[in-house]
This record gives sequence, C-alpha cells and structure tokens, in this order.
Amino acid sequence: MEFALTKGRMNSTRPIKVLIAKAGLDGHERGALVVAMGLRDAGMEVVYTGIRNTPEQIVAAAIQEDVNAIGLSSLSGGHMVQFSRVMELLKKEKLKGVLVFAGGIIPDDDVKKLKKLGIKEVFGPGSTIAGIAEFLRKNVQAK
Amino acid sequence: MTMQGRELTKLVTRLESGEPLPSELYTHTGKARIIGITGPPGVGKSSLIDLLIDELRKQDKTVGVLAIDPTSPISGGALLGDRLRMQRHSEDGGVFIRSLATRHHHGGLTDSTSQIVHALDTAGFDIVIVETVGTGQDEVEVAEVADTVAVVLMPELGDEIQRAKSGLMEIADVLVMNKTDLQVGVAASVTDANSGRAAGTVATTMAVWQRPTIHTSAKNGEGITTLCGALDAHHAYLVASGNLARRRERAARAEVIRLLQSRMTMSILHALEAPQAQSILTDVAKRKLDPHDAVQKLSKVIWGSNK
Repeated sequence: MEFALTKGRMNSTRPIKVLIAKAGLDGHERGALVVAMGLRDAGMEVVYTGIRNTPEQIVAAAIQEDVNAIGLSSLSGGHMVQFSRVMELLKKEKLKGVLVFAGGIIPDDDVKKLKKLGIKEVFGPGSTIAGIAEFLRKNVQAK
Repeated sequence: MTMQGRELTKLVTRLESGEPLPSELYTHTGKARIIGITGPPGVGKSSLIDLLIDELRKQDKTVGVLAIDPTSPISGGALLGDRLRMQRHSEDGGVFIRSLATRHHHGGLTDSTSQIVHALDTAGFDIVIVETVGTGQDEVEVAEVADTVAVVLMPELGDEIQRAKSGLMEIADVLVMNKTDLQVGVAASVTDANSGRAAGTVATTMAVWQRPTIHTSAKNGEGITTLCGALDAHHAYLVASGNLARRRERAARAEVIRLLQSRMTMSILHALEAPQAQSILTDVAKRKLDPHDAVQKLSKVIWGSNK
C-alpha cells in the first residue's frame, strides 16, 4: 500500500471535486454511496449530499462547492423530471464547465433524451467504479 | 454581502489551492464572529450546526460554514459528508456552506482554513462557523482560529479521567453534551464533563468565564436556543473582558507561523527529492544510519549547514 501523504502534499493540482446527489423522493441510497466511496478511493474529493435533494439544492450546492462534476442517481423512475430540472437550472445559472453524469435504473430511450439535455453519460447496472473514474478523468475540465 | 456568491466560491477554490488572499481584502477582515465546532466523529457536529443556522437566521444573521472532513492518506481522495446534514439551507442566500478536505493537514483544519475564514469575513458574513474534522484528543488547532470554541461530546465517551486529560477537553469555551435523547448515562456524563457544575446554565461574570455545559439533542431539536445563548454570552464576555483582542492577536500570529511551517515543509519535501537526499533516507531504512545522523546530513543538503 503506497501512501499518498507525502506525494499529496507536494501535488499542487486540485483533486477532481464531484458532487454526488439523489434528487426527489427516491430513497435508494446504496448505489450513490458506493460510487461516492469509489471515487474517493480513486483520489477524488466527493461531496455527498445524500437523498431527497431538490434540483434547486443540488445546483446551489454545486455552485458553493465549486465542483467539477455532478453525479445524479435515480432508481425510482423520477429521472426525467428531476434531471431535466437540474439541467434547466444549470443553464439558467450559466454554470459552465461543470460536467453532469447520471446513474441508476434508467431505460435506454430515456438515456438518449438525457444525453440530448446535456448529461454526458449514464451509468447503468454493471458499470464499474474504475470506468466511472476513468470517464471523469477524461472529461472533467481542469480548473 | 459585498462579494457575490460566484465570486466568493471561486476565491475559496484558489485559497484552497494555496494561493494567497488578495492583500487589500485582509485589511477588511476582523468583523465576523468566528465560532469553532469540534469534537469526535459522529457526535452530531454537523447536525447541530444545521440547527444553529436556523437560530442565527431567525436573528437575521448571515452565516458562512466551513465543514472539514479528512483526506485519505492512501488515495488522496475524500468523502465530504457534512454538507448533507445542512443541505436544506443551500438555497438560503444568507448562508454559504463549503466542504473542505484536509489535504493531509493535521490538527483538525486545513492549510488554508484561516485564509478562507478571512474570505467569508470580507464577504460580509456575520458569523463564520468552522467545523473541524472529527477530532481525537490532540487536534486543537481550531482554538487558534476561532473566537469561541464549542466542543461537542455525547454520553458514554469516558470516565472522569478522560475529562481530566489535556487537549480537546481544555479548549472548550462551551461544552455541548449532544444526543441527550440517548437516555443511558446522560446525567453521569454531564457531571463528568462539567466537573460538578450545574448543567445547562450560563452563569458568568464579565471578568471570569465559567464554562457551561449545554444539553442538546440535535435529533429532537432540543437545547439549541440555550446553546446559541451560551455562544453569544461567550462573545459578550470576550468583548467586555478585552480577551477578544488578545485572542485575535494570538490567532494572527499563529496563522503566520502555520503558513511559514507549511512553506518550510514544502521546501523540505522538494529538497528530499534530490538523489543525495534519497540515498540518506534509504540508509536509514536499511539501518545503516540512525535518524538523527540522517537529519544532520539532510540539513546540510537542504540548507547548506547544520541548522
């Protein structure tokens, strides 16, 4: 096990900062928490705001935390309404350079629609943490 | 607020990365009240802050919160999980919450905490709350940053010997016994924490501060008004006794020393990258050279003399 302690102190570049949140009344937290812990283990700073966030709270948190990316999780079918609203608010706030990705149980037809709204990728069942981390490293704009 | 939210959040990011606060801003600091909330992991610090924000907003005060969680010594990543307890305040324009990872700083805060406190201060927040990492006995740096320190404990954390120990227990201006909804052992713990003084009262004169113990239950929302009153009373005492100025002078000196230490550490770590330094470290690992002799040799490598 190599410790990041010494190297980390010398590394002046900011780790990728990600907000992981669940919007709406969906209480299925395990997946979002697993991704949050996985990205932590991939060396990222993860703000985890848990379940029952409103899209408004998510966008306000993304601004205050100055995150590079927002990860939205949904397993209860509310993704079109909730995620659309998040994208609408991001546009309204003119929050540029913040990557949005999603995960959970989301039908293929909706994945297409969500991508049209600007959600960069949707990770369904079977996705790996390594894959999500790699996706973020490739697509996050350095701040 | 004089600084727009977006401007502030970007400034905080720069400070977090080690950039200095613009000097013209520093001259405008010193207006905000700085409250430190510390204590072991899981005692309810974030949940109490969530409720304190309600109280302070009722008084029309604006609140900035810095919520610190540890960086992984293994991956360099962090799970910042304080905000979720206060997330319902996100949309309130009078509240600004920022999660910070320690980025390998020890002591309960981050390298840049003082600088970020200044930023929130100049942004016009009336109160700046600094929530430390979940602390052990010896992470007491918040006492060098905050005007008032509340140490949050919960029942069953230890006996009177634990209370008598140095460190965390000594830096409390206000002791908070949270989770009083857990019925087991509450009365005994409160007596321990308060060394026999009556709990929940704020009896003090302007000359002497008698540290109160406040009973709270963040779960049931109990004791929050009393806690807010105790924090206010401590501030009033600091002002009346002249200790506020003394405390802030101490904080300013400590901040410079910390920044200096941080810079020295960085320059040492960079110097240690040199092959000559690395071979000295390897010799210690192979037990060919003892650590003190290595320091003598490395001092020469780094500073050119045995300083």
